[in-house]
Amino acid sequence: MLKIEHLKKTYDNFSLDCSLRIQPGAVTGLIGQNGAGKSVTFKAILGLIKADGGKVTILGKDIQDFSVKDKQRLGVVLSDSGFSGYLDVRDVISILKNLYETFDQKFFMKQAQKFGLPMNKKIKEFSTGMKAKLKVLTAISHKAKLLILDEPTVGLDVVARDELLEALREFMEEEEDRSILISSHISSDLETLCDDLYMIHDGKIIFHEDTDVLLSDYALLKVNDSQYAALDKQYILRHRKENFGHCCLTNQKQYYLDNFPQIAIEKGTVDEVITMMIRGVEE
Amino acid sequence: MKGLLQKDFRLMVKQSKFFTTIAFITVIFAGVVENISFIISYLTFIGFMFTLSTISYDEFDNGNAFLFSLPITRRGYVVEKYGFGLLMGGSCWIFATLIAVVCGQVRRTNSINDSLAVAFMIIPVMLLLLAIILPFQLKFGGEKGRIAAIAMVGIVFIVFLGVAKITKTMHIDLSGLLNRIETMDTRMLGVAAIAVSIGVLLLSGRISVTIMEKKEF
Repeated sequence: MLKIEHLKKTYDNFSLDCSLRIQPGAVTGLIGQNGAGKSVTFKAILGLIKADGGKVTILGKDIQDFSVKDKQRLGVVLSDSGFSGYLDVRDVISILKNLYETFDQKFFMKQAQKFGLPMNKKIKEFSTGMKAKLKVLTAISHKAKLLILDEPTVGLDVVARDELLEALREFMEEEEDRSILISSHISSDLETLCDDLYMIHDGKIIFHEDTDVLLSDYALLKVNDSQYAALDKQYILRHRKENFGHCCLTNQKQYYLDNFPQIAIEKGTVDEVITMMIRGVEE
Repeated sequence: MKGLLQKDFRLMVKQSKFFTTIAFITVIFAGVVENISFIISYLTFIGFMFTLSTISYDEFDNGNAFLFSLPITRRGYVVEKYGFGLLMGGSCWIFATLIAVVCGQVRRTNSINDSLAVAFMIIPVMLLLLAIILPFQLKFGGEKGRIAAIAMVGIVFIVFLGVAKITKTMHIDLSGLLNRIETMDTRMLGVAAIAVSIGVLLLSGRISVTIMEKKEF
């Protein structure tokens, strides 16, 4: 679906070198701190900025050879950009009808009603939630093969987020080979939606794992100095000195449960893994 | 392309108050001012202004990033902007020409042929104006683009003055050349002027495509 090989982009004090792959039928999450390189990656994938090197292949085609027809197979949400605020939903429908051969107006109208989007109110007068819903609805209403969603749930309350995630799940269920690349600051969104996760830090991919594996096999070991000294460190990915002793990240939870029953072992979450991968020291 | 035109027409409709005001002012001008070339130029330029304002709308709130993620190309975007400008400017030109013809007939100041001749002579000037302004608007965006375009018109004026001065010091008979042009057939002159302005407009379009292809959003 999407293959990025050493995508490079350099600014004054930032350098991106990113490789990732999205399989057909998969929802892949891209996580990272602010300024880690998520948006730059999205913009380079979409050809909005010129890459300094590397290769991006979308739906089997090099991004340089992507035609208008090919672009119709993508659905895009950008966190900081959308339709002009002076347009209303009726205008958007009319524009989409003329841009996408496969635009499903009936579906759009039904979802707009479900999301509570007013037809004749200017977008600039919409709430943050309404704007986010319109962006996602725009992306999913023309039978796209690949969704590229940069922070689609930013600024939303729990209920609105849930509605959007539900819409994305329904989108995926409709056709087997559809895929999504999504970035979000909210790890719970990614935990429930994504099949695999990439973590980007300082412009580099530092971590890739299936979400199921992350949630089942990753754990935090909380140990004091003596326990740390005695610990088998072959499966410790990162460690960090803390007030009580040491915090260690492992991807072999069961090994430590079986062999070190006396130490405190906490289930790994996306947030904890992110924190440890960024702040922890490699063993 | 159809989608972009749809967007720009819908954005223009949102400015219907502005459009009505302009039409109202034009009718008042037509009643007061006898200079029909001013009325036609003014309204045609306002028509071009719509395409400039749609560029500002596109840029507002980083809208271009999303716009170019839609199924459009940068070249298509430029073609649409020129097309929309010509469509709006052309419509306004036809409207203004009709007003000018009617006024000329009512006041008995201009024959239909005279009014049409003036209207056609304005076309190349307007096309040249569009050809100069659009690349600047695309390169520098809203406010900066307008300032740059005005500066460019000023530069063109200074260059003409400079050429006139140089030819005078070099004893080249520029007025003789101009007199020769004046004695040429008006129709031929008009057609030649329109042809040259279309050529400049095409060149301008090419420059605009290069500008847009280099842009990052």
